[in-house]
Amino acid sequence: MKTTVIEKKAILQVSELKQHFVLKKEVMFQAKQVVKAVDGISFDLFPGETLSIVGESGCGKSTTGRSILRLDEPTEGNVLFRGQSLTKMNKRELRNIRGDIQVIFQDPYASLNPRRTIRQMLEEAMAIQKVLPPNQREARMLELMNHVGLRPEYLERYPHEFSGGQRQRIGIARALAVNPKIIICDEAVSALDVSIQAQILNLLKKLQKDFDLTFLFISHDLSVVRHISDRVMVMYLGKIVEISDTASLFKNPLHPYTKALLSAIPVTDQTQRKERIILVGDVPSPINPPGGCRFHTRCPFATDLCQKEEPTLRESADQHFVACHYAEKLSS
Amino acid sequence: MKNEIVLEVKNLKTHFISKKGIAKAVDGIDFVLRRGETLGIVGESGCGKSMTSLSILRLIPSPPGKIVDGEILLNGKDLVKMSNEELRKIRGNQISMIFQEPMTSLNPVIPVGEQIAEALRLHQGLSKRQAWDKSVEMIGLVGIPSPEKRAKQEPFQLSGGMRQRIMIAMALACTPEVLIADEPTTALDVTIQAQILEIMKDLQKKIGMGIIFITHDLGVVAEMCDQVGVMYAGQIVEHQNSATLFKNPLHPYTQGLIGSLPKLYEDQEELQIIEGTVPSPYDYPDGCRFAERCPFAQKMCIEKQPELIQYDEDMKVRCWKYTNQWQEESSSREMVTQ
Repeated sequence: MKTTVIEKKAILQVSELKQHFVLKKEVMFQAKQVVKAVDGISFDLFPGETLSIVGESGCGKSTTGRSILRLDEPTEGNVLFRGQSLTKMNKRELRNIRGDIQVIFQDPYASLNPRRTIRQMLEEAMAIQKVLPPNQREARMLELMNHVGLRPEYLERYPHEFSGGQRQRIGIARALAVNPKIIICDEAVSALDVSIQAQILNLLKKLQKDFDLTFLFISHDLSVVRHISDRVMVMYLGKIVEISDTASLFKNPLHPYTKALLSAIPVTDQTQRKERIILVGDVPSPINPPGGCRFHTRCPFATDLCQKEEPTLRESADQHFVACHYAEKLSS
Repeated sequence: MKNEIVLEVKNLKTHFISKKGIAKAVDGIDFVLRRGETLGIVGESGCGKSMTSLSILRLIPSPPGKIVDGEILLNGKDLVKMSNEELRKIRGNQISMIFQEPMTSLNPVIPVGEQIAEALRLHQGLSKRQAWDKSVEMIGLVGIPSPEKRAKQEPFQLSGGMRQRIMIAMALACTPEVLIADEPTTALDVTIQAQILEIMKDLQKKIGMGIIFITHDLGVVAEMCDQVGVMYAGQIVEHQNSATLFKNPLHPYTQGLIGSLPKLYEDQEELQIIEGTVPSPYDYPDGCRFAERCPFAQKMCIEKQPELIQYDEDMKVRCWKYTNQWQEESSSREMVTQ
């Protein structure tokens, strides 16, 4: 499966994407403060796959999702969807393309209008994207409700009448309503209880198969990521530190940060617990990220080189990319 | 010393009375906490785990909430019957609590060192100077570098992980006998969570307090707890050693919960799910509260509520499957089909 994915042409190409937020402009003697939320990342998304972005708070994973859709205007870089540049589009073109790229957010309640029924929401989405002539929309709505496992009579209800899991299903139905090619799932199951989370994950997998969807799955939960992804990308302070197919990332993580992250996850089966690498300190502020390798302040193996020179993302094993000077030495 | 019981909760019932009716948030809970031991209480949203912890400290907003029945015995003394005056002496002193979001429990405009010192002056009668020194010592103890400097800072100057450490330092400053930790690491990143859990274990060894650890995260339970109570719809449905719970879960709900976790080192095509949703606390069914979602449910499960029975030493379960009546019913059914 791995090789076929790679031979395919990318549906979404992100190159040198940067998203900087200016906190304070330069005044007199005070230096300009810039949060480098995403700082030059490049990756491809292939049709039909699930690529996950993982990392801790502030690593830039959600900002990446938002920049791709231009919900925040990216500072630099390019995003190509089927060869068309999203970053160069005008508003109208962008609106059209958003039918192809949909988002599901963490808190479905915050992204559903409380004063609209489910019917009105689905109707509106279809009207804006002109997916179907009005007389066929009713049938389509019933079909959508069926796909996401909600009863057809719920169409007349308001968001507050639903539980968290059901609201997430509504969010999914709305995303599906416009026949997207790509769905960006931003912490889509993070707010849910495990038993409900399992229902939604199963649903997402099924829908992906049925409708040939491509997922960009943003999450901090590595067990969820392991379950749903074909490939995983690990971010730290606005940079990609490692990207590879899921199996080899979990079996053979190359970057010291990925190793520490994996070892920190509490597991129920204590026999499978890896030797824990406890990182010292907190994630440094993205306002003035450390020079050299951004992880060097917390890395147990950091040397002078790591402080001075930033490692590039390079292919260390087959289709397994890592940004660390010593990846090979550390894994042997 | 170690096996001495510090806290015993008997038949605790906390109900909320409103126009909608009576919500039985906590509906008959029993457990025992020993010195130096960690008891985990797990369950999903709305199962009553946080209400249990708030009830122990008598922090239930009243009205609408009320402890309608039961005893909470701290070293044999019943907290339910105590006056507010007496309770104030116990809170933060013999029993402390850490919450999920430290920012909401810390005063935003007072240096953190002073906030810790305040508890020490109040409960231990230390002088201002002594309390400050002890406070700085505690901040060092929870692993914050340069404690003298940090003690003078206000909460917003600290990171989330550090704030949670401050909360721990504050909770443990008066060497409590019981620490209630309600989702203390849920808002933190995993690498920070690992640090905090390590510190809690470490300090437990030093101070010897009993910990009630409330969480929805089964992985955290497996790492932190000796005993685990699984809650569903206001009741404990299973109680076991954490070492055996994950290998041999008895209650169908616990089995479902463990099954629905995505596994970190295993491939699964599809996750196991628990059908349906939790019943409303305003209107629990007469029978087993899990029966509607249970794959094994029989007629008796819907009709009558099971008791929490002793299945084996250190193993309790609230399920008809493990009773004699169940086998009788199953065998009589087999006879009918034959």
